Amino acid sequence: MPKADFVTAIVLFLFGITVAALSYSMPKMEHLGAHPSSVPGLVPGALGVAIALFSIPIFVRALKNRGYRLGLSGKVLLGFLKAESTRRILVTVLVSIVYALVLLGRMHFIAATSIYIFAFVMFFEYKPREPLAGQWKTVLFALILALVTAVAVFIAFQYGFLVNLP
Amino acid sequence: MFQGWEMFFKALVGFLTPRVIFDVLWATQLGIIVGMLPGLTATMGVALLTTLTFKMAASNAIIILICMYIGAIYGGSRSAILLNIPGTPANAATCVDGFPLAKQGLAGKAIGIATTGSFLGSVIGMLALAFFTPMIGSIALQFRSIEFFWFSIFGIIICGNLTAPKDPIKGWIAGFIGLLVAMIGMEGIYAYERFSFGNKDLAGGIALIPAMVGAFGFAEIIGVMRYAQYEVVKTKIERVWPRLKDITMYWKTIIRSGIVGTIIGAIPGVGEDTAAWVSYDMAKRASKEKEKYGKGSIEGLMAAETGNNACVPGAIIPVLTLAVPGSAPAAVLLGAMLIHGVRPGPLIMLEFPSFISEVVAMVFLATVAMFVLGISMVRTLVKVLMVPRQKLMPIVFVLCLVGSFAIQARVFDIIVMVVFGILGFLMREMEYPMAPMVLGIVLGDILDKNLRRALVLTDGSFLPFFTRPISLVIIGLTVFVIVSRAAWFKAATTWVKGGIKGLFRKKVAAG
Repeated sequence: MPKADFVTAIVLFLFGITVAALSYSMPKMEHLGAHPSSVPGLVPGALGVAIALFSIPIFVRALKNRGYRLGLSGKVLLGFLKAESTRRILVTVLVSIVYALVLLGRMHFIAATSIYIFAFVMFFEYKPREPLAGQWKTVLFALILALVTAVAVFIAFQYGFLVNLP
Repeated sequence: MFQGWEMFFKALVGFLTPRVIFDVLWATQLGIIVGMLPGLTATMGVALLTTLTFKMAASNAIIILICMYIGAIYGGSRSAILLNIPGTPANAATCVDGFPLAKQGLAGKAIGIATTGSFLGSVIGMLALAFFTPMIGSIALQFRSIEFFWFSIFGIIICGNLTAPKDPIKGWIAGFIGLLVAMIGMEGIYAYERFSFGNKDLAGGIALIPAMVGAFGFAEIIGVMRYAQYEVVKTKIERVWPRLKDITMYWKTIIRSGIVGTIIGAIPGVGEDTAAWVSYDMAKRASKEKEKYGKGSIEGLMAAETGNNACVPGAIIPVLTLAVPGSAPAAVLLGAMLIHGVRPGPLIMLEFPSFISEVVAMVFLATVAMFVLGISMVRTLVKVLMVPRQKLMPIVFVLCLVGSFAIQARVFDIIVMVVFGILGFLMREMEYPMAPMVLGIVLGDILDKNLRRALVLTDGSFLPFFTRPISLVIIGLTVFVIVSRAAWFKAATTWVKGGIKGLFRKKVAAG
């Protein structure tokens, strides 16, 4: 945790300072005769400063615990990327992002949702090194699950709750 | 007093129609299932149902959401007992004694105790909701801009303190980030677009529900999918009905946990997980059978489940009186009330005089339904826990996505959900709690408007911020919360306690 705290404290400090600077540059609304204490940048500016200040003790503590020794090398990074848990997180995030931000809106909701659910199940259950013949049940089940869910959600929301799905 | 009871019974009778009873039963049962499934939280359940109910009449929609909330907080105890995985974060303390009981072949007994504890906790919380809401409401009527400003700060500080026990600074940072998120978009005094960078969607601000669905839904999906674990329910479930002796024996624990859970619920943003842990910890300290804790203590299980369910009505108290949520699911409930045209806050007693009694009646119906459904159909429902996660989670994500989109039909809300999901996951990894951030999103507007309004009224002077009696009480509490975690304060408290004890000892010796 000291390494993570070291990095996040720096990011938070820079973030807080940036927010404070952006807030300071907000208009003072003098042309409207605004009271100096009611300007739009007052509260976000104060919040930015507060976040920057709160990050300092985290940074100091991380320094004391030698969090600055990040030990980032090609080997460490490769090990992290090759880890099973990293792969699972990346697959979950990437497949979900592709569905939400790329597929939806470009094709019909049922098609996009079916592709997403099918791909998701296959990524986690299908073993590419094993023959398809032994895994046909997995593929068939994923296909049925994908189609049934997509159609059920579409009918429920589009016709039941009258939501125009993307 | 009698008028309050009369209004409660009137509301209760009004709800006793076949349609409402049907809604109560299905929503509570759905809540229990949502709570049971790791990866589906009460917050997400309430948020998703908000989107499904927003075309219903206000009272019908709110009763469904309350049933989901109470059902889900209880339902999480099932997976905690049977799989040692809390169904919702609120049931983490339930695992400690619930799972050892299941391993001893007493899963049915554990489920019965959890159900009874949840029921009694909800009843204690409901009584507090009925008695204290009008009282707190009348105090809240005296709140002006200065008090609202201080209360917002107090909310963030205490929520950060309690949800990040290892490092409160991280809790406070999460809270301030939440406040900052609320600053995005058009502000309420000069209609200036803050941090929108010319983007029209950002100018509209970050909506609470997509942000919460992301932070509690998508983040949870990522967390759940991280490990390839296949937990299977192996335990046989025997008699579920609890013995009366098991309940009467621990009456002190039940009352204590109920009160503690309700008070923690009423603290802004803190929520059911903290309520369960604090109730559990207090029960352990006061127990005559400390050695059983962690090995299958009925008392420990009862304390955790009474505490987390008592927190639910407790969390609704600040929603109704101050428009400030006591927990993350209560924040969604607050959002849902606003969507349905109910304006919670200090004026609720004047604008919607019967609404508090109606909410109490809703909590009562949900509590009874939870008990009845919790005791019955246990063996059938446990089969839900056998659904593999990789098949369930994509369906949950589709619901998160549609739920975020449904309220305003903005694709931007889907982006918000995804971004907050990733942000929420990263924050959890770095041990920054989510609850203060959510509270910050709710309180941001209140803090911003009231600080600026107060400064205009005082002509830029901060002196009146420190001279009003209610403000002074809130400032005192805030300072106490901050310094109570400091090492020097703890040392000073111990020194003073030792001094007082020594004084009495001397007197006794002299006497």
